[in-house]
Amino acid sequence: MDFTLKIWRQANAKAKGKFETYKITGISPDCSFLEMLDILNEQLINDNIAHPVVFDNDCREGICGMCGLYINGRPHGPDDGVTTCQLHMRKFHDGETITIEPWRAKAFPVIKDLVVDRSAFDKIIQEGGYISATTGGVPDANAIPIPKPKADEAMDAASCIGCGACVAACKNASAMLFVGAKVSQFALLPQGQPEAKRRVVRMIKKMDELGFGNCTNTYACEAECPKSIKKTNIARMNREFICSKTSYTDK
Amino acid sequence: MKLIKLASISKKLCMGALGAFLLIFLPFHMGMNLCILRDDGGEWYRNVCHFMGTNYIVKVFEVVLLACVLFHIVLGIILAIENKMSRPVGYAVANKSKTHQGSKFMIWTGGILLVFLVIHFVDFYFAKTGLVTGKYVVKTEKVEKAFQEKAMKMQQGQLKEADLKELQAQYMAIQSLSGEKVAKNGKYFINLTKEELQQTCGKDFKDYEPDFYNMAKEKFHNNLFVVIYLLAFIALGIHLYHGVGSVFQTYGLNIEKYAKTIDILAVIYAIVIPLGFAIVPLKVLLTAM
Repeated sequence: MDFTLKIWRQANAKAKGKFETYKITGISPDCSFLEMLDILNEQLINDNIAHPVVFDNDCREGICGMCGLYINGRPHGPDDGVTTCQLHMRKFHDGETITIEPWRAKAFPVIKDLVVDRSAFDKIIQEGGYISATTGGVPDANAIPIPKPKADEAMDAASCIGCGACVAACKNASAMLFVGAKVSQFALLPQGQPEAKRRVVRMIKKMDELGFGNCTNTYACEAECPKSIKKTNIARMNREFICSKTSYTDK
Repeated sequence: MKLIKLASISKKLCMGALGAFLLIFLPFHMGMNLCILRDDGGEWYRNVCHFMGTNYIVKVFEVVLLACVLFHIVLGIILAIENKMSRPVGYAVANKSKTHQGSKFMIWTGGILLVFLVIHFVDFYFAKTGLVTGKYVVKTEKVEKAFQEKAMKMQQGQLKEADLKELQAQYMAIQSLSGEKVAKNGKYFINLTKEELQQTCGKDFKDYEPDFYNMAKEKFHNNLFVVIYLLAFIALGIHLYHGVGSVFQTYGLNIEKYAKTIDILAVIYAIVIPLGFAIVPLKVLLTAM
């Protein structure tokens, strides 16, 4: 398969970026999107054309949340429920022009080429996306009985890998699906209860501070999430927020 | 940077609450409008307008409603600006994600509705507040009573020569009202211009109301006017479809069990309400043709 690639090139955070066009030929349909970029980079280096294209990636099996490219108008490209690394070139037409952009959001500044700084998500997690751990031995898995459906629901929320596709897809660059999932995974379980009210208020406060937009219930986040996190998590977060705001004072 | 220092979800909740109030208001307005369809020379409609214009509870709600509309618009614009600021550098390829229909255009359908609201207010609402002149309706018995009071004064010799002439002119004016200026049941003088109103009732007469029935008939004979209204109702439908579902999601009531029901409810609401509004100008236009 042959492709024309329009890729965003930006030397550093402050430099002015622009699109560069590269032709690539003889790509196998079973090649993954990142492997295709690897082949491109090899050519760029070997033929001494340009610096290799920088993009985030790590596990390449869709569980680490590092990769994330905005491909032809969709985060993680044209396939549903997969990360960029699990996207295959057979999802494109032969001879197609593929435009590759970094996530665009005020809270996700570009570091270089297609790599953005997603530490804003870490800052939100630091505000309460955890359970204050007790020291000591590992408790038994069934020490606190939890009904299976509840556990499943919490697990679904916890499957968020923090890739940022929700923010990238949202017309308002809102992080509600991410925060909704992180709030939900604890709100659904007894272990999360003692800190639940503080958690939701603080995480949302941080999210707003960092410059993420407001939610307009557009649900592009849900459509693009590689882990199929549901919008009901946002509704749950709203519930938790109302409950917290009306019954809790953050000291 | 945020324009309002309020949690994003709080703003969302405010927007939802204001919108929800407007959602409840619309069926009332629609129901009132539909009275115009009854072939009784506008009697029902006139009674409803009289109630809406004079009842004190309605008047309180009128203020609340206007405040809601205003805050809904202002907050909507602020949120749209904030959201635009959250992505200073846009994408080269427009987003192709599957989204909830209408949600991307809320600010635009809202903008169309704002323009419509200005037109609608100038044409109808401002006539009530006296900012613009429209057509007026008065009860015949009230006009006669006012006339008789003046006549009594004249008999007692309290009026001057000039007033006498005015009284004569008033008598002539009342006599000359006929046909389309008198309601079917004969209890009202209708479709009066400001001039006619002053001639028949005198300058100090306050007991008149805007004749919305005849104003609507007159306005909706204009094709362009009807087209503007119909376009606004389409925008309203799109706005409502997203709005209804959004209220449930925003208030955290969107559990999966009811997701389908809520979506169907939103579709029904977004079709029935604009359709109900659209019937009135369409009927007036079609009966005129």
